[in-house]
Amino acid sequence: MKKDIPFRSVLVAVLLGLVLWGGLPLYRHRHCGVPIIKGPGVTDVRKLSEYSPGLAGTMADSAVYVLEGREPGGKALLMGNTHSNEPEGMLSALIVIENGVVEKGTLYVIPFFNASGSRNTRAGDGYPLYFDVTTDWGARRFRYGNRDASPLDQWPDPDVYIHYPDRQLLSYIDVRNTNRTWPGRADGPLMERVTFGAMELMRKEGIDVAVDVHGAETMFPVTNCIVAPEKSVRIATLASLTVKAMEGFDNHVETSPAGFRGLSHREIGDHSGTMPFLLEAPIPFLDQPTGPKTVKFLLDGKDPFLLSLSKKKKLFVPYDEGGWPLEKRVGQNLSVTLEIFRQFTKKTAARPIVVRGVPRYADVVKAGVGHFLADPSKAAPGAVVVN
Amino acid sequence: MIMIAYYVITAFLLILAAWNFILEKERRQDLVLYVLVMIPLILRLLRWK
Repeated sequence: MKKDIPFRSVLVAVLLGLVLWGGLPLYRHRHCGVPIIKGPGVTDVRKLSEYSPGLAGTMADSAVYVLEGREPGGKALLMGNTHSNEPEGMLSALIVIENGVVEKGTLYVIPFFNASGSRNTRAGDGYPLYFDVTTDWGARRFRYGNRDASPLDQWPDPDVYIHYPDRQLLSYIDVRNTNRTWPGRADGPLMERVTFGAMELMRKEGIDVAVDVHGAETMFPVTNCIVAPEKSVRIATLASLTVKAMEGFDNHVETSPAGFRGLSHREIGDHSGTMPFLLEAPIPFLDQPTGPKTVKFLLDGKDPFLLSLSKKKKLFVPYDEGGWPLEKRVGQNLSVTLEIFRQFTKKTAARPIVVRGVPRYADVVKAGVGHFLADPSKAAPGAVVVN
Repeated sequence: MIMIAYYVITAFLLILAAWNFILEKERRQDLVLYVLVMIPLILRLLRWK
């Protein structure tokens, strides 16, 4: 026993070293704040817990930015980071917050919808913890999150997730997936409280249009599209046709399946008067047969294995040496979102939603995402909200 | 409530592994295994991972 003391001491030192080496970067990532600058159109910043009190004091609570127009009109909700490993949604929301001015109607923006997921990672897949977007004044750093909420905030997972209220059996992991826990409930698991908060926001504020911005694999058939249920499909189709004709990019329409429960594009429409739309931009980083999951790959979407698969016609989107860069993904999300608002306004003239100052596809592809991001160090006092 | 119960279970398993680490007298490979088992338990109790 005595002779083992040096060996045991070494083992304990190794244990502490591994805990610190492996754990500290994760701790810092979880507690790293992302500053967002209130743009010229932001009139109020609330918390989602105002609509779902069960979120108060938890890592799943999130900021809701309100952009109230000069004139009354319709109301829209824009959500990013429902899946926090699809950053084009969060960046699209950020650009709207920092640049958008609402002329008519009111816009609610939640850039970190699954705030807990944005503080999680997927170590087994080699996910980077952060990514930097190059701007005109330097680089702006963001947390790169995971599809699901952190188990530190909602644990344990059940064997099977029984969806509320339909009781459909879903994968156990979907209990932490905020695109399976709609419409949620006030006292359910934490992620159900998140979606319940958004549902309450939509019901109490009388939201007309909800846009949930995602990214999807190039090998997944539901990609590069607008997913819409029956009540939204007309506007989705008009938006799809218009961006194709006027801006030259494809974004086809997929119908929301009525039998697959828990998704925003299904439950929002079924449980409120809001018209839901879910946008999917192709994000090659999420595909499985790729090279290393580097930040460069996340941003430029270029991968030789996907290029090879594209030549064999195994992908559901066009793919060449140019990849699918962040600019294209964010640009098309913004254009389609603005087009949905425009088509809604044309259809419902009494409730117009008119937003200016938000760049469209060509602007973002030409100038880059970073061009539309503000510098937190030069923001006015009180204009920075840390998320 | 169930989350708190799982943290209690985690703490119990960590104490168990640490106790076995202290009591083990013969097999060095078991000591290494106890250390490996303790890593995720410590990370969860610290709420780092």
